[in-house]
Amino acid sequence: MAVQIAPSPLYVGLVVLICFLLVELHRTDRVLSRAFPVMLGLGVLFAGIRVGLTVLTTHGLGRTVLVTLPEATLPRLLGGFTVGGPIEATVLAQAVADAVPVIGVMAAFGAFNSVVAHHELLRSAPKAFHEPALVVTVAITLVPATMRAFQDTREADQARAGRAGRRGRITRTLLPVLETGMERAVALAESMDSRGFARRQATTTERVGSWFVLFGLSMVAGAFVALVAREQLLAVVLGATGALLVLVAVIVSSRAGDVTRYRPRPLTARDLAVMAAAIGAPFGLAMATALGDTTLTWVPGSPVQAPSVGIGPLLALALLLAPALVPPASTVETARRPHDRAEVVSR
Amino acid sequence: MTAVTWSQVRFAHPDGRTALEGIDLEVAEGDLVLVLGASGSGKSTLCRTVNGLVPHTSGGRFGGVVTVMGRNTSTNRPRDLADVVGFVHQDPEAQFVVDQVEADIAFVLENLGTAPDAMRRRVEESLDALGIAHLRDRSPSSLSGGERQRAAIAGALAAAPSVLVLDEPTSELDPQGADDVLAAVDRLRDDLGTTVVLAEHRLERAGPLADQAVVLEAGVIESRGSVREVLPAYVGAAPVTQLGHLLAWDPVPLTVREARRLAGTMPSPALPPTAPVEAPGDTLATARNLTVGHGRTPVLDDIDLDLGRGEVVALLGRNGSGKTTLLRALAGMHTPSRGRLSVDASVGYVPQNPNALLFAPTVEDELTETLRLRGMPDGGQVESWLQRLDLTALRERHPRSLSAGQRQRVAVATVAVGGAQILLLDEPTRGIDPPSATALETALRDHRQAGGLAVMATHDVELAARVATRVVVLGDGEIVADGPAADVLAGSLFAPQVLRVLPPFLTVDQVAAARGGPATGPRPR
Repeated sequence: MAVQIAPSPLYVGLVVLICFLLVELHRTDRVLSRAFPVMLGLGVLFAGIRVGLTVLTTHGLGRTVLVTLPEATLPRLLGGFTVGGPIEATVLAQAVADAVPVIGVMAAFGAFNSVVAHHELLRSAPKAFHEPALVVTVAITLVPATMRAFQDTREADQARAGRAGRRGRITRTLLPVLETGMERAVALAESMDSRGFARRQATTTERVGSWFVLFGLSMVAGAFVALVAREQLLAVVLGATGALLVLVAVIVSSRAGDVTRYRPRPLTARDLAVMAAAIGAPFGLAMATALGDTTLTWVPGSPVQAPSVGIGPLLALALLLAPALVPPASTVETARRPHDRAEVVSR
Repeated sequence: MTAVTWSQVRFAHPDGRTALEGIDLEVAEGDLVLVLGASGSGKSTLCRTVNGLVPHTSGGRFGGVVTVMGRNTSTNRPRDLADVVGFVHQDPEAQFVVDQVEADIAFVLENLGTAPDAMRRRVEESLDALGIAHLRDRSPSSLSGGERQRAAIAGALAAAPSVLVLDEPTSELDPQGADDVLAAVDRLRDDLGTTVVLAEHRLERAGPLADQAVVLEAGVIESRGSVREVLPAYVGAAPVTQLGHLLAWDPVPLTVREARRLAGTMPSPALPPTAPVEAPGDTLATARNLTVGHGRTPVLDDIDLDLGRGEVVALLGRNGSGKTTLLRALAGMHTPSRGRLSVDASVGYVPQNPNALLFAPTVEDELTETLRLRGMPDGGQVESWLQRLDLTALRERHPRSLSAGQRQRVAVATVAVGGAQILLLDEPTRGIDPPSATALETALRDHRQAGGLAVMATHDVELAARVATRVVVLGDGEIVADGPAADVLAGSLFAPQVLRVLPPFLTVDQVAAARGGPATGPRPR
């Protein structure tokens, strides 16, 4: 969210650096530990494509021409615009300014998945979210297997077909990967069934909770529609009621049923402090926006002006360093204490 | 008391193929039962009937009654039987639900609603029973094959089931990993009295542990009884058992130790005539100071190797010794970081995982596709390789519908049909049944006799003894031993079973050939 509020390349660069630092400090051996470089690479790729397309097709916004490429005008059927020609500094700078937030968002997502132990999140989630969170955790275990299957298949095909077999390689690679993924998914479903998953029938309270969630989410969606239609009062009423219904459903569902959880990990003061800091960063940036800080967004102009930095946004972004300064509570410390070894709630 | 009972059980897959027919069987509590048979004989299906995966998740037509600890599987779904049956798949990686060993073990207990104190105790006991307490915080994806399979068994064991079903649990493992898993299973049977139903191909280790064995053939029980009654006549029995059967030793041995005792008291065949070691033909691949990998510990370090026509070379060595890397370097998939590697012939590489190759709708199309990709006309090669690897009857089947052994044969045929003079095979017999292994061995001998070169990375010393002309042992990326198979294997601590009982014989076939030869003499020492 911080990246969306402060899309200036300097601030986004700072966010990426903080992500890198956190990944280096809290690296794990989990399946997604390499998510940060992969997602960062994807972000750079997407941003590069966007910048490339923009500078090749946008002309006439600035006076400084960096280089002049051969140009071609596409047929009217394909848009009729000109590709190539003069590459202008202003266009390049504006394209970079527009594309950089993508890198920041991807880096933050990758860093989160690199350092987080998803099974610990599962233990910390409210009981009402246990099964959805479990589904996400299970899906994550399929990622490395799929990546390995993709690599194996590509290499096997290269060895089988040689250089002559480039045509159709995508099909020959994707089909075995998809089929292996299907087989794996079936085996996993059987394993979960064999180990008693979904053995318990949902209680009446849980069913009522589910309906509450459905109604609540529908009302939140209605609030967005009302906002689009500029019915602000209706949007507030719908949004507040929907949020309240979801909250009630979570509380009710969490108290229902006799599901036991192994070594639940309640949120500690340190966890809450880090979460507060993470929320504080975009909040601080929003405050800076309200106070009229002009450094958050970079408008290159013509001739191109360098982006500037404000002390307020820097202080707000510094809050993102909280996970580096406050080490996460160890699972061993929190969960092996006798009183919270396991949790059971009976009606 | 009876733990599992099959009464007139029959099952046909949704496509109509019969998998089981007229199965009547009882397993007593605390017994370990071996389920044997070729690929596609119905072993996995029989195992999956124990907790109701067949028919509840498989579909198809099911008849008869299976009861487990008094519960009928037709009226109880797998999840309802989770407290009495623990089920472990062939591929351990496919069954982990949570990305942490300890949390994954607790999964079944959470589903069963086990009380908090009992849950914690059971997890600790399961970790200890399988000897994996030190791995509790690890991600399953970071474990070795043996560790992973033991973690999977712990996940099935946590609910303290009365019956544990293991569907080829060692098929993906190296010998050490397989030993660890089977030792753990034996301990569970002894210490906890758990009934074990075990489908397995590796009878060198599993045979001595079992109380009884059941052999399936095309979905029908072909034979059953104690392991000493059943194994001697079984085609996939351990070499030492086959040797005892051939020499009419009584009782037929199941272990090398038993066989050694008997060998001392029984007449032994004469020494085989010394076969001249065939010199390899033209050199097809040469490595000089070959180093692959970067950093302080390269995967292959300063290798010198000449590989010629007419050789079947077995690469032996522990996991991580560089076997696969050497194969991949020969296949051009790794660039040497130092030294020289020249390969002067066409190369075909069969990876460890056959699934990586298979995508065509039928087995025959899979072979034809290789010819199409290489721009070669079909001059009868497809038919020839289908026959060589005993795939003619499976030609119209979808490769993905085949068993592990059958898929492995299809993968080899798919690569070999391209006419490569150098065939590189990575663990070609891993997890495959005896008939598949035999077909593969025959194909390798034919390839050698036709002037080709085959190099295979394997943990299977029995395979090396049967088919290899030369053995190269790798250790930490270096060549530790290199020479004719008989010489290298004879000096090994992990020699083939027959060699350890009747040196210098390497295989049962050699003993049989010697018996049919000149007069029987004293057993060579």
